Amino acid sequence: MKLTRSYTINDLMEGCKAGDRKMQELLYKQTASKMLAVCMRYAKDRMEAEDVLQMGYIKIFQKIKEYRGDGSFEGWIRRVMVNTAIESYRKNLRSLNVVEIDEAYEQPSTGFDFGTLGMQDLMKVIQKLADGYRMVFNMYVIEGYSHKEIGETLGISEGASKSQLSRARAILKEEIIKMEGFGYATYTG
Amino acid sequence: MQPIRDKDFDQLFKDAFADAEVAPSRDLWSSIESEITPKKKRIIPIYWLSAAAVLLIATVGVLVYQQQDTTDGDKRLANNTIEKSNPAVRVQAIKDSSATIVAPVENVAPALPVRPKAVSAIAKTKVKQEVKPAVEQPRIVTAPEMQKQETIMAKVEEPKKDIKAKIEEAILQPKEETIIVANPATVKLDEPVNENEQSNKGIRNVGDVVNLIVNKMDKRKDKLIQFRTDDDDSSLASINIGPFKIGKRNKK
Repeated sequence: MKLTRSYTINDLMEGCKAGDRKMQELLYKQTASKMLAVCMRYAKDRMEAEDVLQMGYIKIFQKIKEYRGDGSFEGWIRRVMVNTAIESYRKNLRSLNVVEIDEAYEQPSTGFDFGTLGMQDLMKVIQKLADGYRMVFNMYVIEGYSHKEIGETLGISEGASKSQLSRARAILKEEIIKMEGFGYATYTG
Repeated sequence: MQPIRDKDFDQLFKDAFADAEVAPSRDLWSSIESEITPKKKRIIPIYWLSAAAVLLIATVGVLVYQQQDTTDGDKRLANNTIEKSNPAVRVQAIKDSSATIVAPVENVAPALPVRPKAVSAIAKTKVKQEVKPAVEQPRIVTAPEMQKQETIMAKVEEPKKDIKAKIEEAILQPKEETIIVANPATVKLDEPVNENEQSNKGIRNVGDVVNLIVNKMDKRKDKLIQFRTDDDDSSLASINIGPFKIGKRNKK
C-alpha cells in the first residue's frame, strides 16, 4: 500500500472511526481505485460497479466501528466491498428474472499481441459472463471461497457451484481464444 | 485443445487482479459524502408543522370549552337581568326583536375588535351559534342586547343588498334562520362592523372553519394560521407562531 500522505492507513481507520469527514475522504481516495477494480469484476459494467462501490463505502463508514483489527484493514474493506457486490447481485436476482445467456459474444478484438493479455482484457471477458457464472468464478477463483460457502451465500447447491465454475472457466477460455485469435490457440494447443 | 490446467488458468486471473486498480469517476466521492451526511433540511419543517398542528388542536379544544362556559354564564346573566327589569321593558324588547331579528349579527361578531368588552361576551355566545347553526333557534333578545343593536343600527345608513345575498349563500341552512337573514333590516347590522372578508364568505370547507376560529381568538394582522379558501381546496396561506412565520396575507 502506497502512502502518498502523511497518514498511515491505521491513522485513517482511527479517524474514520471517529467520524472525521476529512479522514473518510482520504481513506476513500487511497483505496477507491483498488476497490473499484473489485467491484468491476462482479458487475456487468462500470456504472453498476460504481453503484456498488458507493454502497460499499457507505457501509464501510457505517460499520467501521465493528472492525476489531483482525486481519489487515484493507482486507476488511475488500471483504465489505465483496459482500456488498454479492448482496447487490442477490437483490437484482430477486427483482429481475435473470435470463442466463451464454452466447451473444462480440467480435474478437483485432491487433492484440499475445502475451499482453492484461487485466483489462480479463475484466472484459469476466463481465461478459452471465451473472451467476461471474459470481461463482469471482468468489471461488479470486476471493478463495469454498464451493460450500458459495452455495450457502448464493442459495445454490454445492454441486451447482462446482458445475457453474467449470462452465464459467470453459466460457472464459473460449472467449480468450477468440480474443487472441489463432495465435493463442496455436500456442496453447 | 486446452492443455492449460484449471489451476494455472485461475492463477492467471488471480495475478491479473491482485493489484488491479480502476480509477473511479471524479464525482463519486461527493455523492458518497452527500449520502453519509445527515439530512437536516427535511426534518425541521415536519417538526414545526407537527408542533403547529398540536397547538391548533389544543387551542380549538380550549376555545370550544371556554365557549360552552361563556354560553352558560351569559344565559344565566341574561335571565337575571330580565328578572330584575321592569316587565314593560321586557315586553317591548321581545316585540322589537321579532321585527329586527338578531341572528345575522352572529356572522360578524367574532371579528369585531372595536366592541366594548361587555358586549364581547354576548358576541362569543353567538359565534358558537353560527358554527353549529342547526342546534339553535332564533332567540329572544334581552334588553341590553337590544340597546346595543339599536346603537349599531343608528350608525348604519344604507343597507347593502349584495352583502345580504352573500350571507344567504353562506349560511345555507334549511331552517328558519335563513329566512331571518333575508330580512333587510337585519342586514344593516352586518355591514359596518366586519372588516374581515372571511366571515362574509360563509363556511365552505375546513379551511373556513379554521379561519373563523382563528379570527376569533387571534386579533393580529397575521393570524396564527390562515387558509386560503378562494379555491375549492383549502390551502395553507400563512402561519404565524411568534417568530415563526410562513406566508403573507398579501399573497392572497
